[in-house]
Amino acid sequence: MIPRYQRILFWSLALAILLMAVFLLHGCQQAREKLNRLQNQTPLAAPAETAPETFHLAMASDADNSIAMVDRQLALPTEPTARMRALLAQLIAEYSYKNSSHPLASGPAIDDVFLLDLPLKPATSTNPSNPAGTPPGESAFASGAPHSPGGQLAVINLSAAFADHHPSGIEAETLTINSMVGTLFANFPRIEQVRFVVNGQPRDTLAGHADLTRTYQAVNTTTGGAQ
Amino acid sequence: MTFTRTYAAVLLVALASAAAAAFLHAQTQPQPPVPATAAPPSQVPQPAVRPTPPQPARAVIFLDPAHGGTETGASLGNNMAEKEVVLAFAQRLRAALASANLSVITTRDSDLATPLPTDQRAEAANRAHALACIVIHATASGTGVHLYTSSLPPAPLNDTSGTDATTRFAPTPWESAQTGFVDQSHKLSDVLKATLAKASLPVITGNAPLRPLDNLMCPAVAVEIAPNSAAVSASDNTYQQQIVFAVATAMQMWRDQNTGGAH
Repeated sequence: MIPRYQRILFWSLALAILLMAVFLLHGCQQAREKLNRLQNQTPLAAPAETAPETFHLAMASDADNSIAMVDRQLALPTEPTARMRALLAQLIAEYSYKNSSHPLASGPAIDDVFLLDLPLKPATSTNPSNPAGTPPGESAFASGAPHSPGGQLAVINLSAAFADHHPSGIEAETLTINSMVGTLFANFPRIEQVRFVVNGQPRDTLAGHADLTRTYQAVNTTTGGAQ
Repeated sequence: MTFTRTYAAVLLVALASAAAAAFLHAQTQPQPPVPATAAPPSQVPQPAVRPTPPQPARAVIFLDPAHGGTETGASLGNNMAEKEVVLAFAQRLRAALASANLSVITTRDSDLATPLPTDQRAEAANRAHALACIVIHATASGTGVHLYTSSLPPAPLNDTSGTDATTRFAPTPWESAQTGFVDQSHKLSDVLKATLAKASLPVITGNAPLRPLDNLMCPAVAVEIAPNSAAVSASDNTYQQQIVFAVATAMQMWRDQNTGGAH
């Protein structure tokens, strides 16, 4: 005959085991949901009334160091900075897909995008080949060069996690930057220049190579593939 | 008394005759040479100077193994950091270039206690007046050898006919010092690409926003070593040796092109 206190102890332990199992299963489910949320890169829920539009993404390929334009149907916010952020987030999200041509780690990449109107200043140089008086390669914004009316500077605030986990290398980093610049150029014609900050702060390089201290001109960055 | 006067008159006539003869002789004789310093420059007879043959340019190759110290660069697997792989490659390349009678200057021969800023690397390269500057990197992504030149546009041709001193002698901005060498850098990249392709190594070329490329005042190319295949990493000795041989061959060709083969 089993003593009463032993039976009580047994059933108490069994109940504790059962509760711990339920707690463990619940924790696993929560972790799975969290991972699923991270993999879902859609940054903002598109308004129901917004119809999908065709956008151009400058997709990079590590295999031949090329960037090619592809079209995507997306429903994006109407506010310009939210629209840019959503588009860039979609671009980076496509790189985190399986069998990506330019594999990047999944996770939020774009914290914010800001737009600044470029100042209009008269040219001071008499050099006909460089009417802006801007030294080649120097930021036209920094030198106060004139811009077309309505031109804008886009400041992209990358997340620190994205920069810290970005593959390190000249090719990988350059393709990521050119991909983002090319995407902005293709979809936002008013943007003339692009700057990058990480976690709101200036940073020397993206992951040890590509220069983030300069102002990039918004130009067509698509290439013809391997040279 | 009369004899004395006559003697004095004859003596005066003789002296006068001698003086006149001496004056006439002096007038008919050629003038002595005038020191060159006393004559105008246009009248100075120039000594016959043997023309010296033009000296060939110093065949100096500048190597910059990237990173170092706490700046380890990319992680290339097998506990290998980019700074170690590029240093090993630079040491191999230096030996190969030296055996080809090329002078080599490197930014580092060993790991550094503190990372060398890119501005200091560029300053050292610009002081060397090198025939070519090679910035060495390595990566775990992509395949083959990646050759990158500056993303700066080439400099417009200088108009030397102008009289405005500010336009003729405009200073070179540090941020775009490479501008005047972009065309040569592209040619150097083409030579490297040809020799690497001849060695059956996959090559990719392009432009990159990479420091210190934009600050170098020499034909400059960044060589990034990527894995040759899934089985051959950037740190593989045989693979590196293949690249070293191709790059050394390219540097010899570049020297011959730019110094007329004299070395």
